[in-house]
Amino acid sequence: MKLPSIKIKLPKLKIYGIDVIKNALFFAFYISMTLFIIAFIIAPSVKIFKNAKNSYFLSKQEFDNTKQNYRHILEQLTKLQNQNQQILNAFKRNFNENNFKLFAKDYMNIIKITKQKTIPYKNQFAKTSYIITAQIKSPKNFYDFINNIKNYKNIIRVYFPIDFEKSNKEINLTFKIETYRLLTAKAEEKAH
Amino acid sequence: MYSFTKPKKKQFFKEDTKLWLVFYAISVFLYVSFALFLLVKAYFYSKNNQIYNQNIITLNTKISSLTLQKENIKLQKTIYEDIMVKNSLIKDSIKNLLDLIPDPITLNKFLLKKDSLIIYGITPTKDVYNLLMLPPLESIFTKTDTTFYQMPNGWYKFKSINKLKGNNETAFN
Repeated sequence: MKLPSIKIKLPKLKIYGIDVIKNALFFAFYISMTLFIIAFIIAPSVKIFKNAKNSYFLSKQEFDNTKQNYRHILEQLTKLQNQNQQILNAFKRNFNENNFKLFAKDYMNIIKITKQKTIPYKNQFAKTSYIITAQIKSPKNFYDFINNIKNYKNIIRVYFPIDFEKSNKEINLTFKIETYRLLTAKAEEKAH
Repeated sequence: MYSFTKPKKKQFFKEDTKLWLVFYAISVFLYVSFALFLLVKAYFYSKNNQIYNQNIITLNTKISSLTLQKENIKLQKTIYEDIMVKNSLIKDSIKNLLDLIPDPITLNKFLLKKDSLIIYGITPTKDVYNLLMLPPLESIFTKTDTTFYQMPNGWYKFKSINKLKGNNETAFN
């Protein structure tokens, strides 16, 4: 069976030898093709591009803010560390009895230091108690000792019981001290 | 039949049609190139986006660590300051206690505990003690017990036990 052939005969209109109808059809096809490409290729690409660009700039802005925040916190931390270097170092050091005797000799004559117990304090610290037996010339020596204990290389708290007993020209003094140390400092030391 | 002109090859497309087709091809190429350019650019944006997101996660982890360090330093500082204040309070407590002792009374020994104070001393008379020393002790402590022992010279040795009511209370700290 032969299919019937359909022949479309376009009317011919020529101006200066240019086929106006044919060119108009080409132009119309060109416009249609452009619209089709814009609708199905360019517009989705622009959408993808725009989304990617927006996400990029949002992330960039968030990154810049986070970086600024990080620098700010780092600066604060460095400042805090510098301001409290003495305290931070004091929390890392071990208590040394001989060194403590040397420090206290300007205020009292330490006769005996008895270590009691070590207990955890606020999860991060170890608190060790010592009983100090000493002799002082006057209570003022003890006051001066307490005033200057803040300059000592360990964190020391003078605590109860405190026993003052007059003995000839001197005063026998018994008191408790508590030293505080960072537990992580201990762990670091063991690791090394 | 013989012709003097050579036969012209019949062109598949006419000149103007060719021109249109080339124009179409160039246009499609430019459109597709533009779309591809946008997609490539979008790909690089999303790649950089991923890098930024990764960096943000890393920075946030670092920030958490720094914040923790900061809190630790603040905690250490607070503990240090608290200890120093308590030391100062103990010093002031002893100073105040010794300032409390009136001239006629001599102190031999005192034992300061968290919730109690035991004082051993010598007083010329019981009245001197009761008038000059007892009232300030009673104002600080909730319970005050004093025992006197007469000495051969007529003066009195005394032992004063002063306690605070609550277990967690302390007069000195």
